Amino acid sequence: MGEIPTILHVDMDAFYASVEVLDDPTLAGQPVIVGGAGARGVVASCTYEARAYGVRSAMPSLRARQLCPQAIFLPGRHGRYAEISGQLHQILGDITPMVEPIGLDEAFLDIAGALRLLGPPELIARHLRQRVRDELSLDCAVGIGRSKMIAKLASRAAKPRVSRAGLEPGLGVVMVGSDTELEFLHGHDVEALWGVGPATAKRLHELGVQTVGDLAALPVDTVVRRLGQASGVHLSALARGEDPDPVTPNRPAKSIGHEETFSQDLVDPSELERHVLRMAESVATMLRGASSSARTVTVKVKLKDLSLHTRSHTLGRAISTGGAIGRVAAALLGGIDPGEGVRLLGVSASGLLEGGGDQLSFDLGDGQADGTQSATSHEQSWQDVTAAVDAIRNRFGRASVGSVAMVNEDGVQVPARRDAPWGPS
Amino acid sequence: MKFRSERDALVEMLATAGRAVGSRTTSSPVLSGLLLSCVGNTLSVTGTDLDLTIVVTEEVIGIDDGSCVVPARLSTDIVRRLEPGAVTFSTSDDNITISAARSNFKLRTYPVVEFPTVGRTNEPTTQLPEMLLAEAVRQVVRAASHDDARPLLTGVLLSRVDGSIRMVATDSYRMAMRDLPGTDVISGEGDLLVPARALAELQRLPSGTISDKAETSRVGVAASSNEITFWQGNVQISTRLLEGRYPDYNQLIPDHYPNRLHLGKETFLAALRRVQLLVRDNTTPVRLSMRQGGVDLTVVSQEVGDASESVDGDFTGEDLVIAFNPSYLIDGVEAVQGDEVIVETADGSRAATVRGFEDDQFRYLLMPVRVS
Repeated sequence: MGEIPTILHVDMDAFYASVEVLDDPTLAGQPVIVGGAGARGVVASCTYEARAYGVRSAMPSLRARQLCPQAIFLPGRHGRYAEISGQLHQILGDITPMVEPIGLDEAFLDIAGALRLLGPPELIARHLRQRVRDELSLDCAVGIGRSKMIAKLASRAAKPRVSRAGLEPGLGVVMVGSDTELEFLHGHDVEALWGVGPATAKRLHELGVQTVGDLAALPVDTVVRRLGQASGVHLSALARGEDPDPVTPNRPAKSIGHEETFSQDLVDPSELERHVLRMAESVATMLRGASSSARTVTVKVKLKDLSLHTRSHTLGRAISTGGAIGRVAAALLGGIDPGEGVRLLGVSASGLLEGGGDQLSFDLGDGQADGTQSATSHEQSWQDVTAAVDAIRNRFGRASVGSVAMVNEDGVQVPARRDAPWGPS
Repeated sequence: MKFRSERDALVEMLATAGRAVGSRTTSSPVLSGLLLSCVGNTLSVTGTDLDLTIVVTEEVIGIDDGSCVVPARLSTDIVRRLEPGAVTFSTSDDNITISAARSNFKLRTYPVVEFPTVGRTNEPTTQLPEMLLAEAVRQVVRAASHDDARPLLTGVLLSRVDGSIRMVATDSYRMAMRDLPGTDVISGEGDLLVPARALAELQRLPSGTISDKAETSRVGVAASSNEITFWQGNVQISTRLLEGRYPDYNQLIPDHYPNRLHLGKETFLAALRRVQLLVRDNTTPVRLSMRQGGVDLTVVSQEVGDASESVDGDFTGEDLVIAFNPSYLIDGVEAVQGDEVIVETADGSRAATVRGFEDDQFRYLLMPVRVS
């Protein structure tokens, strides 16, 4: 196994916020927050000036506003971020084809094949960082390690830091060699490991585990008893520095979804159903846009008490129409008690099949009677309708046509990914 | 009970009857056993899961009449591993001793009285030509569903059409239909819905031994309102019939197709199997671009790569592109008898038909995969 670390993690610094500053220089030096500004919005990205006040990504916007009342809130421009992301990936692709994009602003690279041509990893990382700065006028941090996990932790260590004293520039590039890897890894809090969320962290803390080193010192059996087989074995291995996950170029999307936080909690079941059908429509459009179809439909509901409920159903065949996804989603929604009110609702499709194949089936007139979803001729005619709707929307705009569930006093409301993705503004 | 026979003959009997023994754990342990009955020089071995029952009868050297229930898998495995040659089964109290050469196994048995009395129909009422039935089963069973959530579709419909038998199966994505002209109608209650599993077992049996010539062998059939029994050679297969109204398949059959593609069967099959190599998740479709002079096949698998092939043939109609699940299409082409295959289509989203050239007895309807 390679002694030289060849995995790079490239992570743009405060990406969305930095793009906003780039496009509007008057924002430079100001606390800028990109995200939903409304009562239920969350922070998607913020400048280091905002971070100095304690603002962090994924924080509720309300809290961010309390911490930093003078912050400038911006709704975000997904298209612009995607455009710059495309330029970033062009630079990455010049180094190696082994690029695994994670979102718009992060990527893993395996440069094992580029060493002979381009020099040692640290040099490649520095050149990469320089090119990003020269061509995009943006900064990024690069971590180098033997595994994706180490590289990711290393890039975090390379980031600029903020404190009350002000902004402290980061190292930009941090390489963790195989000899210092365990020492580096074990010093981190367990929360730094992938797959350790608040619940898992709490269980580990109860075992007296605070750092990754503590976890590595525990026998696997003990961890498995506490966390279950899959998670226990996986985390123990990660804590010992074993992360076999390779860099996979162009990893296909695993799921396509749409979710919304409501400005007021919803309790009316028919209203909830209307929203689910509307979201199913939007998921279906995205699926077809990606020439995909899906076998699994998931409905996610966050209640007023912040408890999260998800229900999934996997079909025997792949579907891609709003009607078919909506039927499954509505049935799943029916299995969830809305309690005192629904705060967030989401519909997603997974088990994606590439190539847009949608196996049609005969109308045997028994589809529903058998308790399974079957593509009836009814559904096939809906597929025709759907194709026509897509064509009309392409030509006349998204709000030109929609199902009755999308209509309100203001006309046709078609949800799209870019509409308030971080909560209502 | 005591008898003696050849190892290989016994293995065959035990394994065949054992195929009816369910692998799932049943409430009644005796169902994991095989009933052995020896009368004179005739041994019969019975296995059942209450739905499907298989009885194999063979000549042995009988010593004492009697019966017992032996654990199916274990006794089959033991006999299979013995030295070749004579094997003796003999009961004493609740045990059976299996011995051969220098091997001795003493196994506990199940009480005979607990073994269910199923599948004991006496006499066939109809005889069907074995070759014809075997061919029809081969052509049709493949289209039956394996999805227990749609129980009716796991069956093969045996109905009477114009005085002969028609077999139909569909899993809702494809439908196979075969007429058996010249066959006597099975006396009984009209249409019969036979679990495909029973017919698949019938298909696996060695050719009958009623006559030395396979072409003239016949399979005996008898049906009641809830059961059907087949006799093929020394094996009797009984199965409970499925209950319910089978979907009206006639309305699925288009009366006219505008497009018709005529190909050599083996060339087409070989090409399909080659491009199918790129299919990873069994959901990647194969695209057929039909045009004058033949068809182009393409498989595009994002993860793996892509493949294309051209097959020469006669095409009449409008050029069109239609995609299918490759395994379903291969299933249909394989089922066709003869050297030539006809693929009839309407458009990319309606059922196509695969059938043999000048063959009106078999047709295979297949729904396409919609691709963008």
